[in-house]
Amino acid sequence: MTTPTKHERRIVIRPPLSLAGTTRDENRKLIREWWAELDAAGEEGRPVANVFVMGSMAEILRTFDMPIAFPEMTSLQTAVRGRSLEFITTAEDAGYSPDICGYVKADIGVHLQGGDHPMGHLPEPSLVVATNLCNTYIKWAEIWERMYDCPVFVFDIPGWRGSGFETKRGSGTFRDDVRYVEAQVRELIALTEEVTGKKFDIDRFRENLAQVNELSRLFREVLELNQHRPAPFNALTEGINLMGIVNAYRGSPKGTRFLEIAKAEFAERAARGVGAVPDERFRLLLVGTACYSNFRDFAGLFEDWQGVFPHSDYMSFAGGALDRGVHYDLDRPIESMAEQMVLTTQEAMGGMFWGQDWLTEVVREWSIDGIVFHGVKSCRTVSTGLPDEREWLLRRRDIPGLFIQSDLVDPRLWSAAQLKNRIDAFFESLESRRAAGARR
Amino acid sequence: MLVAGVDVGSTQTKAVVMNEDREVLGKGLVPTGAKLNEAGQAAFEQALAAAGASDTQVGFVVGTGYGRYRVEFGDAQVTEISCHARGAVFLFPNTRTVLDIGGQDTKAIKVGADGEVIDFNMNDKCAAGTGRFLGAASEALEVPLPELGALALSGRNPVKMTTTCTVFAESEILGWLAKGRRVEDVVAGVHRAIASRSVSLLRRVGIEPEVTFTGGVSNNEAMVELISELVGMSVNVSSETHHCGALGAALFALDQVLTGAIPERQTV
Amino acid sequence: MISVDTVESIVEEARTLVEDPSYPAARRWLEDHPEGKVLGHFQVYFPEELAHAAGMLPLKIAGFDTTLQIRKADAHLAAFVCSIARSALELVMSGTLDILDMFVFPPICDVARHSCAVWARNFEDIDSQILYLPHNAASPAAVPYLTGEYRRILREIEEVASTRVTDGALRASIELFNENRRLIRELYRIKRETPWLLSAVEAYLLTRAAGAMPREEHNLLLQRALAALETRDGKPQDKIRVVFSGGFCEQPPLDLISVIQDACYIVDDDFMVGLRWIVSDVTADGTDPIEALADAYLNRSDYSPVQHDPRKPKEEMLLRKVREAGAEAVIIAAAKMCEPGLEEQVGYGQALYEAGIPHLVMEFEEKTTTFEQTRMEVETFAESLLFEFA
Repeated sequence: MTTPTKHERRIVIRPPLSLAGTTRDENRKLIREWWAELDAAGEEGRPVANVFVMGSMAEILRTFDMPIAFPEMTSLQTAVRGRSLEFITTAEDAGYSPDICGYVKADIGVHLQGGDHPMGHLPEPSLVVATNLCNTYIKWAEIWERMYDCPVFVFDIPGWRGSGFETKRGSGTFRDDVRYVEAQVRELIALTEEVTGKKFDIDRFRENLAQVNELSRLFREVLELNQHRPAPFNALTEGINLMGIVNAYRGSPKGTRFLEIAKAEFAERAARGVGAVPDERFRLLLVGTACYSNFRDFAGLFEDWQGVFPHSDYMSFAGGALDRGVHYDLDRPIESMAEQMVLTTQEAMGGMFWGQDWLTEVVREWSIDGIVFHGVKSCRTVSTGLPDEREWLLRRRDIPGLFIQSDLVDPRLWSAAQLKNRIDAFFESLESRRAAGARR
Repeated sequence: MLVAGVDVGSTQTKAVVMNEDREVLGKGLVPTGAKLNEAGQAAFEQALAAAGASDTQVGFVVGTGYGRYRVEFGDAQVTEISCHARGAVFLFPNTRTVLDIGGQDTKAIKVGADGEVIDFNMNDKCAAGTGRFLGAASEALEVPLPELGALALSGRNPVKMTTTCTVFAESEILGWLAKGRRVEDVVAGVHRAIASRSVSLLRRVGIEPEVTFTGGVSNNEAMVELISELVGMSVNVSSETHHCGALGAALFALDQVLTGAIPERQTV
Repeated sequence: MISVDTVESIVEEARTLVEDPSYPAARRWLEDHPEGKVLGHFQVYFPEELAHAAGMLPLKIAGFDTTLQIRKADAHLAAFVCSIARSALELVMSGTLDILDMFVFPPICDVARHSCAVWARNFEDIDSQILYLPHNAASPAAVPYLTGEYRRILREIEEVASTRVTDGALRASIELFNENRRLIRELYRIKRETPWLLSAVEAYLLTRAAGAMPREEHNLLLQRALAALETRDGKPQDKIRVVFSGGFCEQPPLDLISVIQDACYIVDDDFMVGLRWIVSDVTADGTDPIEALADAYLNRSDYSPVQHDPRKPKEEMLLRKVREAGAEAVIIAAAKMCEPGLEEQVGYGQALYEAGIPHLVMEFEEKTTTFEQTRMEVETFAESLLFEFA
């Protein structure tokens, strides 16, 4: 029932691991390369596409050797480097409301300041692909459209439709959705040909699809390693790095190789019984996103209690449901891409809005003690219904959950004392639940 | 051996000294002010004096409240949520729902039969609907805080407050007075606004009998009546509910003593 | 006794329907149709013809001012969610609106899509659905897709209403709603051409009543209002002509419209845009009526911040609206916490600035009760323009 204060924390002696640090090193290398590619393309005036993590269409764009910028990732990076507020303020000074997404403002702030980002230079987009998986993607894309007069392609993938909705292969709705999406795959290919001046090469496309099949398989295996107790990696912290690479290198052999490295390192930890959090006592599931402007503090609030996150719904939706299994049929690449987009989008979006069944499953399979629902003002996509979902899971499934609020990137919305109070009380309640359970 | 609980709240600091038979021997209450450790120390000393005991007899101190990490002589810290739950079930064993209205925040807590916290909910970032709001009303109306409750009970036609924001409370209160409304009706309106905010917080965790009302505002008879009315049952209060957080902290301290997990006392 | 209709009396009729969160006209309809089913939807856009053809009563769930206190809904939604989403949820949770059998959400924003799940988890007796209107509006595949999606929602409707909908019934419903759209266009023509004869608040109440009553009755109401307007007298006043932009979803409080009209003629707006989304008659004769509705949604429609259509760049659409209404200024409003509405403000402001059109930027919330600051802003804005043009 008591928690050590910070000064009482001790160093934990761990067994030496031969693969320690390999994932981190590869991650850093790949992120540097990714920035270098964006910088070079910007300098040489080669076309760059701005895309989003949910439905990046990297499979198609990579066929044209088009570097892809992920503004969600670059905004996140401004926050982790403690610089998001200056860019947010720049955007607000230009008239953007305090009540809109901080990712949008951090990005627009960088663009308004000439593109100089703490890690490189943000090039002007020549093409924007925005899916409807987050409605704000479309509004964000419209801002660049106005700034740079670049083509915006809204790739629309109909998703979850309400109570009892489930798309199955063979149903009329599935056919309608796939036909619509397939037409858009062809439209995007034609538009990208126009923007890059290159012909579409279906064999390269097929290779990219094959890499994504592999990426999806490895990603699932990496996540399953965290069913071990103690969990070898923390989805809250190391998980962010994984998501960065599986997005930036989706469809590339480099992404696949990265996951092989991660899998080997985490498997070694699992085999040696080394957990991501020393002396793991609580296993948590994060629903929503982390707070990147106060990332260390946010993670520390849970680590102080020896709490680890073996899984998060972020690991699912931020990879466009890569974790649910992507299986492209390489014999019919375009049709298959459309089908898989429809299926995975419904999983990803359904998981965000209608997540109680999937969460219940993860709680069971990853041996979760409690769920942390983190609502962020920046992102109504992931946050709107979280209090309701929390209450439902507590009442109907007896799964304890905590709802807290702050932001992705706006440090003004971080309230340390209040968060700590709620989080401490949640751990205390998990502990007293455990004690009460043992007594019964 | 004795134990103590020290609850450093935003407005007041409370302390309880207890013996191994769970008898409260002494209580302390001081305003918190800016120096949290000193407030904790002063409340602790008050409680010791009331108990006729000295600090060397105290084997374990648990700090709680928003200033719990600043109680330098504390041996451990527990949140006030767990402490109020524990204290409320100790005072009223059939408690299943706890409402704690404190100075800066209000908490609704659902507890199990053993006093374990099943669920809790707190007010949003601002101090809307907390004790602070009563403080603002007291200042605006120039009525001492302890007299507000009695005055509210005499209000027959409570005004309908549209804000529970402490920042806007004063101007709205003055607005009602300017419209010729009686002071007691304005005070009654203020109480009603806080009660309704608090009960909506209770609904979030689910209201199950019995309901125990804790924290400084549980001394306010008008608030007790209004909360009872809104939850549809009479709520538990006693002379101890004001100190409920410190009491719960002392009980947690006693757990440590009784299980033999007492570390060396470092500083007093 | 013959009662004499006046514009005032008809507006008051509309007001009692619009301001009552228990939807009295819908309750009367249910008394006459004891087996009748009610389909609620947000006002942004829903093809009400589909529900009407199945014998259901489509209702537009707009938010409400402080007559509807939020007590339960807040516990289910994050703190930074707009008021309309809270109000709608509260209407049902509080039991104020206990007559819905189905509710259809548009995919216009993240809050709307999430809300569908919240409703589905909480209201087992309401069939909560998202009608997935296409976001890639310019794609040639959008019309066939939307036709299929309309058929899907129609199957849901048929199940709730326990009926089968024929093409004949759909055509009849389309004709009824065409008539409604024509009448509303006429009302807006009068407001645009002779704003001194029909105030913004009056036009607003008469229009908004459409969503709170059976459409047949609303057509009659508008016919009576238009007839009464023919004999109304009035003189032009010294007010500036403005377009109000920002009422496409959550509605501004009536008092806000009233504060604006004290200093301005609102000669065009996007209040209750769903009623005017389709800008000309839907022609369903000899064609598939569902496809005709889908085509009209995509190809004969207005614009809003929640639809991206490269054929309808929003600033250009706004500038065109200003031109066609003969307006001299724009009020760019957005509902508090409305991500898409707020994101539009910078782009609109810039385009208007470049076109030399004065504009005032503001935020509103349906539950706001004090407007003194807004009154001062609007008056100052109007005065500055009157000086300029004098």
